[in-house]
Amino acid sequence: MRAGAAIAAVKRRSASRASTLYLFALPATLLFVVFIAYPILWVAGQSLYSGTTDGRAIFAGFANYKTILGDPTFWIVVRNMVLWGVITIPVQMLIGGLLAYFIERHTHALRGFFRTMFFLPVVTSVSVISLVWVQIYAPYYGIAQEYLKHVGIIMTTSPIGDPKTAIYALIIVNIWQWTGFSMLMYIAGMANLPSEVLDAARIDGARGWRLAVHVIVPMLSPATKSLLLLGVIGTLQTFPIVHLMTGGGPNRASEVFGTFIFKQSFVLGDTASGAALSVIVLVTALVLSLVQIALLGARLSPAGKEQP
Amino acid sequence: MATLSIDKITKAFGHTTVIPELSLTIEDGEFCVLVGPSGCGKSTLLRIIAGLEPISSGRILVDGVDMSGAEPPERGVAMVFQSYALYPHMDVDRNIGFGLKIARTPAAEIVERVSRAAEKLRLGSYLKRKPRELSGGQRQRVAIGRAMTRKPKLFLLDEPLSNLDAALRVGMRIEIARLKAELASTMVYVTHDQVEAMTLADRIVVMNGGRIEQVGTPLELYHRPANLFVAGFIGSPAMNFLNGKVVASRGTVATVALSMGPTMDIPVERHVEPGDSVTLGIRPEHVELAGEGQPNSHVLKAAIVELLGSDTFIHANEGGESLVIRDSRGRIVRAGDRIGVALPARACHLFNGAGDRISDASEAHAEPVSSRGRVN
Amino acid sequence: MMAPLTRNRIRGVVIHAVLFVVLGFWMIPQVYMLSIGLRTPAQAFDAALFTWPVTFDNFVTVIRDNPLGGIFLNSLIITAATVAIVVAVSSLFAFACAILRLKGSMLLYTTLLTTLMVPLASMVLPLAILLKNFGWVNTYIGLILPYAALGVPFAMVILKAFMEDAPRELFEAARVDGCNAWQTYWHVALPLVRPALVFVTIWQFIVTWNEFFLALIVLTRSEMKTLTIVPMQYSGLYMANPGALFAILTLIALPLILLYVLVQRAFVRGLLAGAVKG
Repeated sequence: MRAGAAIAAVKRRSASRASTLYLFALPATLLFVVFIAYPILWVAGQSLYSGTTDGRAIFAGFANYKTILGDPTFWIVVRNMVLWGVITIPVQMLIGGLLAYFIERHTHALRGFFRTMFFLPVVTSVSVISLVWVQIYAPYYGIAQEYLKHVGIIMTTSPIGDPKTAIYALIIVNIWQWTGFSMLMYIAGMANLPSEVLDAARIDGARGWRLAVHVIVPMLSPATKSLLLLGVIGTLQTFPIVHLMTGGGPNRASEVFGTFIFKQSFVLGDTASGAALSVIVLVTALVLSLVQIALLGARLSPAGKEQP
Repeated sequence: MATLSIDKITKAFGHTTVIPELSLTIEDGEFCVLVGPSGCGKSTLLRIIAGLEPISSGRILVDGVDMSGAEPPERGVAMVFQSYALYPHMDVDRNIGFGLKIARTPAAEIVERVSRAAEKLRLGSYLKRKPRELSGGQRQRVAIGRAMTRKPKLFLLDEPLSNLDAALRVGMRIEIARLKAELASTMVYVTHDQVEAMTLADRIVVMNGGRIEQVGTPLELYHRPANLFVAGFIGSPAMNFLNGKVVASRGTVATVALSMGPTMDIPVERHVEPGDSVTLGIRPEHVELAGEGQPNSHVLKAAIVELLGSDTFIHANEGGESLVIRDSRGRIVRAGDRIGVALPARACHLFNGAGDRISDASEAHAEPVSSRGRVN
Repeated sequence: MMAPLTRNRIRGVVIHAVLFVVLGFWMIPQVYMLSIGLRTPAQAFDAALFTWPVTFDNFVTVIRDNPLGGIFLNSLIITAATVAIVVAVSSLFAFACAILRLKGSMLLYTTLLTTLMVPLASMVLPLAILLKNFGWVNTYIGLILPYAALGVPFAMVILKAFMEDAPRELFEAARVDGCNAWQTYWHVALPLVRPALVFVTIWQFIVTWNEFFLALIVLTRSEMKTLTIVPMQYSGLYMANPGALFAILTLIALPLILLYVLVQRAFVRGLLAGAVKG
């Protein structure tokens, strides 16, 4: 009798245990479904309808996409996004990597100080940064034109006020803000290097630059791949710096996906083309990410936490 | 204290069967050692007993109650893990008392039981230290203390000494032997080291490939190994195996011609046919060094001689077969010497082509088997 | 030929000098911001990095005239709640994947991971509509939950990797000690991945505190606004008074900078701990 009761109790308990375990996964799943999956499905659906003045939606097929692709601003955005990614990502890697290398391998007492100071722009509010850089770039009273005079660069207007230079001026701000992040990723990657391999390389006679180029750089490739992946996604979601410094101007010359979506959706109230744009950005991000993951084995985690 | 019955259990990971049907009963208060080479399934079996690994079929009974799906505490088990598995963020005190705390034991009783365990294991002055501040042997004792305080019905130990260096291992082995006498709970101990098995066990279960090869007291296994595997696994240095053929069989005695040379009569309890291939096993310590011309002796050339002081190991080769001789009488032998050896028939084990024991006579007859009876 | 020791020392000094020069340039925007904030109205439009004398009048004025405390509190409430939810939810999920190995959890994990590839820009429109339908515009919860949903995947990746690195025997020991899954999570898993929890907490704090796009759209009533989105309105308000504007910008940027300086050691330690195990 005792045995029977015990068996029943054990069975009951293990059954209830198994089902309660799914409570561990439930909150994350709920958040994902409600705030990620559902909005994405909604926006994808919405991109196929055109809004009307009486608020009813009419199925429009790919008409919204056609309109967007026919909009010359869209192609300015594409060009700007390509420029943004192609310039920002490698420059940040280069500066961040160099800083990481010198800080990690050649400083001791001041290591924490340098790591912190170069990372500060990342933690500084982007809206503050944008307004400070507007001031820096300002004509007449900005310090950029004042000090660049001394090295022979004469700026008569603000670089963000000129359609030809605006996007580059914004890219500089972006690089300045996020290089500290690249640096920290490389620092983590360098801590990851097995010291035996470095010792072996030194015994093989590799020192200084040779050691850096032939041993350290290849071994940091997991961090580089993560930075590339995060860089592409970061580029596609660029918004605050552009919105705050140029608003996409002058004459839409510095428009990016973020500001374009913002204007279509919230300024013009054209949710149909806003939705189509959102889907384009989403699909671009997914395709570029998956290509990198498939071809390069890139990881989304920082510092090559997972096995390369 | 509890009787553990393992009833026709099987265990498969996906399509790989790790343990084909296996049954075993471990008696109340018994110290049972599961021994075998790595990958033999002994750790899996221990984890199944603990309730950490679900079984594919069969039943696990503790004191007759089916515990097949039960959690470890419901089975009343405590376990000492190979890596000790001490919680790195808790000090020794909390590590030992954690199970009691989870079981909602009153605080005063936790303190009392922890301090009693600490005293027994001489951990008193380390109670406020974190595991990383302890030596290997101390961590080992904390792990044992943690298991002890729960007053388990079943005390499980998974290769507890394998992470210690040789000197510490001997000390801890003695400590565990002492503990065994004090605790008087049913203990299951997994090891790949046959010395630990021989010195600690009331009963040894030799496993290989997920199966039980033999169950018996240490001396039973030593004197009457059931098959070639057990014969080769128990004893150090390992038993010598010599190939031979049955040339004549008369009831309970078989005449075996060894490919090394001599022909001997060996008592058998299973029938063999003339012409059958057999393996003759003899332990190095049972090979006798004899003067040349002595009856039953055979002359070999010593290839390597290892002097250990107390013992001398002589490795000899002849006709593609090798023989290790252990001599404790301090005979002076040098490499290259020709030596006469005798293989006493009563110390010989005979195994058939399938590896199963067929011989009857052995020193098992000469010495009482039950020299190490159960504790209670 | 110099002695190697001397050569090393000279190289060290040169590298430090170069790093300081680079850092000097790197810090120009922050220094400039502070410097303008410390100027008198007369110096405000001087095209120089530093001016003399300095005055704290601007700081006094902007603190007196503006409800910075309330804005700060908005940021703090939203950020703290988001961080708490992200840490709790992602650690629970990581535990389900790495330790419990629930059926289907790896599929869910991979699905949630795709969130990391979704640029916020593409989510802003649908989220804005969703929050409007929920009636959550201008509410804390309207930002907290989307932020949490966007933050969980990254935290989950980190925590799962850390939990997988922890010795499995520890979790089995907890089972033998009688812990159910919740007790194992609380008493064993969380303390074991503490460096990762600290790292995730700090990172999520920085990201949430500084988030701009969604906050801009969801928070339109001025008493709900966070520190990140108010600088715009002050740039209009103090157009003619850069001293005051940059004083306020300094005040807005300061809390997070100070916080980071305080916790950077733990943050980097968490990052390095993750790397060392990789």
